[in-house]
Amino acid sequence: MTHSNRNFVFAYVLLVALPLFGLAGVLRSGRKLSAPISVGGLWKINANQDQLAGLLCGKFLLAQNAAFTISQSGRAFTLNLPNSAWSATSGAIEGNTINATLIPSVVAAKDPGCAEHSLSLTAIVDPKASPRSLQGTLRLQNCPGCAAVEFRGIRDEQAKTKETH
Amino acid sequence: MPNMFTLVLQIAVVLAVCRLVGTIFLKIQQPRVVGEMFAGIMLGPSLLGWLAPQFSTYLFPASSLGFLSALSQVGVIVFMFLVGLGINPKELKSHGHAAVLTSHVSITAPFVLASFLAIYLYPRLSDDSVPFTSFALFMGAAMSITAFPVLARILTERNLLQSRLGTVAIACAAVDDVTGWCILAYIVLLIRSKGTGNPIWLTVGGLIAFALIMIYGVQRLLRRFESTYRNRGQLSDNAMALMILLALASALCTEWLGIHLLFGSFLMGAIMPKEQKFVRYVLDRFEAIVVTLLLPLFFAFTGLRTNIGLVKGPEMWMYCGVIILVATLGKLGGSMVAAWWTGMPAREAAGLGTLMNTRGLMELVILNIGLDIKVISPTLFSMMVLMALTTTFMTSPLLQAICPDQMLRTPVDAEPEKFAGVELGLNPAGD
Repeated sequence: MTHSNRNFVFAYVLLVALPLFGLAGVLRSGRKLSAPISVGGLWKINANQDQLAGLLCGKFLLAQNAAFTISQSGRAFTLNLPNSAWSATSGAIEGNTINATLIPSVVAAKDPGCAEHSLSLTAIVDPKASPRSLQGTLRLQNCPGCAAVEFRGIRDEQAKTKETH
Repeated sequence: MPNMFTLVLQIAVVLAVCRLVGTIFLKIQQPRVVGEMFAGIMLGPSLLGWLAPQFSTYLFPASSLGFLSALSQVGVIVFMFLVGLGINPKELKSHGHAAVLTSHVSITAPFVLASFLAIYLYPRLSDDSVPFTSFALFMGAAMSITAFPVLARILTERNLLQSRLGTVAIACAAVDDVTGWCILAYIVLLIRSKGTGNPIWLTVGGLIAFALIMIYGVQRLLRRFESTYRNRGQLSDNAMALMILLALASALCTEWLGIHLLFGSFLMGAIMPKEQKFVRYVLDRFEAIVVTLLLPLFFAFTGLRTNIGLVKGPEMWMYCGVIILVATLGKLGGSMVAAWWTGMPAREAAGLGTLMNTRGLMELVILNIGLDIKVISPTLFSMMVLMALTTTFMTSPLLQAICPDQMLRTPVDAEPEKFAGVELGLNPAGD
């Protein structure tokens, strides 16, 4: 082996082969890492209709055919309702719990009493359920007398798969 | 059926804005394609949607995006065929050990650094539906790519294509792209095989068989294109149509096998004959329509998916800054160290690193695939797009600052004892 080739082999081992061993180590150790629970996708919501009807601004939730989409980035997410009564809102994930505050849009704000209230959404996601499901409550903020509305949600895994492919 | 008025209006606006911004960028010594990339971002929620949300919704209603996406994807399929056509990894041989080492380090350095960064970013910007291995490998592939076409454009516009620096950069970029796309194919395979339920060995076996058929069977047939061109000095419209048909058929095969349409068209381009005049002729025939019409649509579609508004708060901007830093350090730094190690003068090695750091359009293609298969989130997608824009934008001014003109224009056969022989080991002259 010539001096030049020996140097090439040395440089190749140092600059290419060794880092690849490092990569293997990273991939191995990274498997132990845990990322926030996945909540992104289309969620079909089933809420108690009577409770919703009694909720201030609840008719706007009834009108939306009970579904919302979540776009997730790590612990943060954006929740979009398919109608324009509530603005897209950002929320946070803590463990298996998601929290978001929905603010009435211009449309909903025209309804008496709606403008002053935002709606807080809290739900616990079941990570083992397939399709993934959640259970939570919708509560009007600044309204101590208003009862919370319970709801359940199931993620539309087919829609998620279709988006993937 | 698409709303034709909306679709034609979209195409007209996209073309006008891309041409305008591209022309402005030309005036500030940037390649037109960089301006067009910026134009795409401007048309999305990051600028137009932010400044004039109602007009943005009117111009790009959600229901119309499927058609814009389809058109842009057709453009990218043909474009990837042209990228494959322009790539000739055999060029590496003519540059000896230096280019081999530089190209391989320019892949491994950003790849490994990106995988380290993935340890930090995974719990913060990903979710548990994405395995860490896929996330880390994708980040590595995305950061190690070099935009072969943008690089070629920069070198052409600066008249550096025949320079020593230019030829080494092109050879290294070719290897980087082929390697990057192979890694990406593996990642897409990993993720998609879970969705389809097909065993991974079946898909891998199918892909290997397909690649072997292409390389040892189809490639021989493709030589007829070159021989026809050599005899007649041109190719008939039927021959050009057949070429596109073959690229589309290959794209369909790879999609059917479980990876992505783009790999097939890229492979078809890569196995096409590489005689220079033939390649130039085919590129000229296709480039006008692809580069002028279809790629701007892809930039606009990418821009519509990029929402810089998602990168909010100091923490998110810090992540974005770290991504840009790591990408630059890995690609520019890695290539520079390797080139310097092999005897290239330090300033020239830095110039090479700067060129290799150009990610541009190829990065956008890869990022769109990553977003489609959901290996990256919309926020990370936006950060990575910013990284691609930054690293591409910085290339020309940085190159100008680092390398004086006479050094850049050193012809390829100059000073063969210093470089072409590629004496390995630290260059005592340093610079």
